[in-house]
Amino acid sequence: MTKAAIYLFITTIFLIAAQVIVFNHVCLFGVAVPFIFLYTILRLPVNLSLEWTFTISFALGLTIDIFSDTQGMCALACTMLAALRRPVLRLYFSRDDELTDAYPSISSLGFDVYFKYTVTLTLIFCALIFIIESLDVYTFGTIILRIGASTVLTVALLLGIDCLLHRNNETRT
Amino acid sequence: MHNLLSFLIKARPWILFTIYVVASSFLLFRNNPYQHWLYLTSANAISAGTYRAANYVTSYFNLRSINEDLQSRNTELELEILRLKDKVKGYMDKEYAETVPVDTAFSRYDFILAHVINNSVIHAHNYITIDKGELDGVRPDMGVIDQNGIVGKVNIVGPHSARIISLLNNNLRISCKVRGSEQVGSLVWDGKDTSTALLEELPRHAKFAIGDTIVTSGYSTAFPEGVPVGVVIAEKKYYDENFYTLSIKLFTDFTTLSTVRVVVDDMASELAAIENDTPTE
Repeated sequence: MTKAAIYLFITTIFLIAAQVIVFNHVCLFGVAVPFIFLYTILRLPVNLSLEWTFTISFALGLTIDIFSDTQGMCALACTMLAALRRPVLRLYFSRDDELTDAYPSISSLGFDVYFKYTVTLTLIFCALIFIIESLDVYTFGTIILRIGASTVLTVALLLGIDCLLHRNNETRT
Repeated sequence: MHNLLSFLIKARPWILFTIYVVASSFLLFRNNPYQHWLYLTSANAISAGTYRAANYVTSYFNLRSINEDLQSRNTELELEILRLKDKVKGYMDKEYAETVPVDTAFSRYDFILAHVINNSVIHAHNYITIDKGELDGVRPDMGVIDQNGIVGKVNIVGPHSARIISLLNNNLRISCKVRGSEQVGSLVWDGKDTSTALLEELPRHAKFAIGDTIVTSGYSTAFPEGVPVGVVIAEKKYYDENFYTLSIKLFTDFTTLSTVRVVVDDMASELAAIENDTPTE
């Protein structure tokens, strides 16, 4: 439990660094923006108290905001996401007691459930971010395009990160 | 009372949730985008340090295109020098006996050289971080230019770093004109392409042609008059009949910003004092 928590903490530091140094400057085809730090929120243990889930998500969002000058935008979207995390997981996976591991991942949930869980939460996050950011600037069509493209790119990266980290776990134990 | 207490304990996570949502909304929806706390921007010590370290590595990646820019700019300047030398020689011949009056305008502006350590182009409101701050003489509202054209305006200043409002931020409007004419319009980014912007509110009687150069007007202390901005590529149809809106191709390549210059106007404080001096009766 503690070992997994420390592992997640270190992963988060790396994800934040990668996000602000590399991925904040990526904008594929002028529309798709990746948000890889979402991995931490997806991966927080299912049995973690709501207070901690909100606090960690808010702090994560605020850190990203500070680095990328977005003033509260990610903090708001991350907090919302933290609130929606459990209901979304319930939607696809109702049997909490059958979880092999409290940390959601491809191995603990199965690919199907984890994929749906990731897509739903990423879509919600991208929708929040682009609607907050750009209602006064972009047209409706552009917003939808940006939300869709960013969701696809982010989900692909998040699944990649999960496969990568999970394989590391297996080889270590 | 007991019920209230147990309710509060039960609802504790959602009270926390509400506090976080209100706090982030407060940050997000404050009316004035120009006033933020230094430690909540990329100009604070930790993020500026991180970006400085990352920039130490990544700044090498763009050297080729920057080099090309410098080469072409250098060629232009050399030609300009030759032309000016010719002119000066002509004047010297002509006014050999007379005293040439000293033009004070030349010494009015000074520059601070700075490196861009963070730069974004993907948001609707983009900012740039540079590695020079208050201790180097950078102050809020100073203009920032690079070898090609204008970049933005200083927004928040830390001791060793500063945040620039990029031209690619539709909160920033810069007064510009078509080179050779006096009608002034307002340059603003439309949030679409990093290489184009709009020149709005240009009076209907202004004369221009596709391909004309747009320069700063010099009506503020941030930029000297005549700093190149871009060229006119199209005229846009707009509802307001009294003004033109032009599409401008920007000279500055915001995706490869590296070294910039902060414009220091020695007359800024003097002008501000004069403009604020309202007669009291």
